[in-house]
Amino acid sequence: MKKVFLISAIILISNFAFAQGCSDAGICSIGHGFQSTDKDVKNTIEIATIFGAGESDVKYFSPYISYTRQINDKIELSTKVTFSTASGSFGTRGAFGDAFLIGKYSFAAKNNTQWSTLLGWKLPFTSSNLKINGYSLPLDYQSSLGTFDLFLGTNFKYRKWDFNAALQIPVFNNNKNSYFAAYSGTDDFPTTNLFERKSDALFRATYTLNTKNQKFSFKPNVLFIYHLGEDSFENIFGKRENFVGSEGLTINGNLISTYNISEQKSIELSIAAPFVVRDIRPDGLTRSFVLALHYKISF
Amino acid sequence: MKTKLFLLTFLTFLCSCEQEGDLTQDAVPIVVDQPNTVNKYQGVFLPTSGINGTGIVKIYLENNQYKLALENYSISSGPDLKVYLSKSNTPTEFVNLGNLNSEIVYFIPQNVDLKQYKFVLIHCQQYNHLFAVAQLIQN
Repeated sequence: MKKVFLISAIILISNFAFAQGCSDAGICSIGHGFQSTDKDVKNTIEIATIFGAGESDVKYFSPYISYTRQINDKIELSTKVTFSTASGSFGTRGAFGDAFLIGKYSFAAKNNTQWSTLLGWKLPFTSSNLKINGYSLPLDYQSSLGTFDLFLGTNFKYRKWDFNAALQIPVFNNNKNSYFAAYSGTDDFPTTNLFERKSDALFRATYTLNTKNQKFSFKPNVLFIYHLGEDSFENIFGKRENFVGSEGLTINGNLISTYNISEQKSIELSIAAPFVVRDIRPDGLTRSFVLALHYKISF
Repeated sequence: MKTKLFLLTFLTFLCSCEQEGDLTQDAVPIVVDQPNTVNKYQGVFLPTSGINGTGIVKIYLENNQYKLALENYSISSGPDLKVYLSKSNTPTEFVNLGNLNSEIVYFIPQNVDLKQYKFVLIHCQQYNHLFAVAQLIQN
């Protein structure tokens, strides 16, 4: 029962917290896949909730649950299921978002360095065309972008530094969004009818600081995401148009603070905000501030 | 058992999350102002194979603005139905007027040359399935 109270507390605290900060189609949190679990435990369950503030008046509440299985010293498999609720002038819409399947292979460590690689897959639960009362909603209100994405990544660890590089490639597009700004009553969001999204490339550098008693750790990190092309949509005449300015760089700052309750349990607070954003982000990944709270249990 | 009940309640709460906002309230029906309008075109919907229903479409001209209205409309419901002004009886060259709602009047964009658009289609965009076709006849 204590666990239930703890989970409830996490959800409530994060719900009342003021904000969150990164644009995440999945790639933002992919660095988590590189974080090694204790070699002595085989299983880790993580429950997290993310609160974010987006463009216009949109607020997000996005919990997820993940399970990681350490197959052996080198191979680790993770699954994650996300849920997202967006609230604003269009109302409130919540739904399951995506499922992630991620495999990690770690090479043998030597001379304080270690390489690992990551291969993952994202499967959407929706086609990004959730509606309220029959009205089409912009992507800012959708729990998933509706794309089946491939993740390819690598990590280099050197002493207290971690460097990640990853690609998120939409392999199959099932985005059936039908939002037209002209028919919506607001010009806060661009038309995203039958939206098509380009790939992202990520680079992250993380430094880890541990307190002497190993109870707390702090991981300041900087995250560069380059959107590799202009997204597009279908206009009212059925013709495809590019979003000029949707290609480009986003730079996020992130601080992850972890408290190790015991060897098997930890609680983590992550605060992120973007410093540099693209000219236009029609994909709705417009968080101006993100606050995430994670609870991990290993066994 | 309490834990399971809590989680079940929580999941039910998450799954049922939909609430209207200022921009998604029921549309106030716009009535075509008959004395000041001219009914320029009209057509009768014919449902496609496997679809049931009937309906009439009328296009009015009011103060130099074309408006499209559906009358006595009753056709099988679909997940993502749109109203298209189309050059042919299939959705190849069209103007997407938005989500199907027989209670509202659709404003046709000023730059659309109605002489080129001889059909009105009811089309499910999400599954690319045509529901009904009405050929427009000039009055």
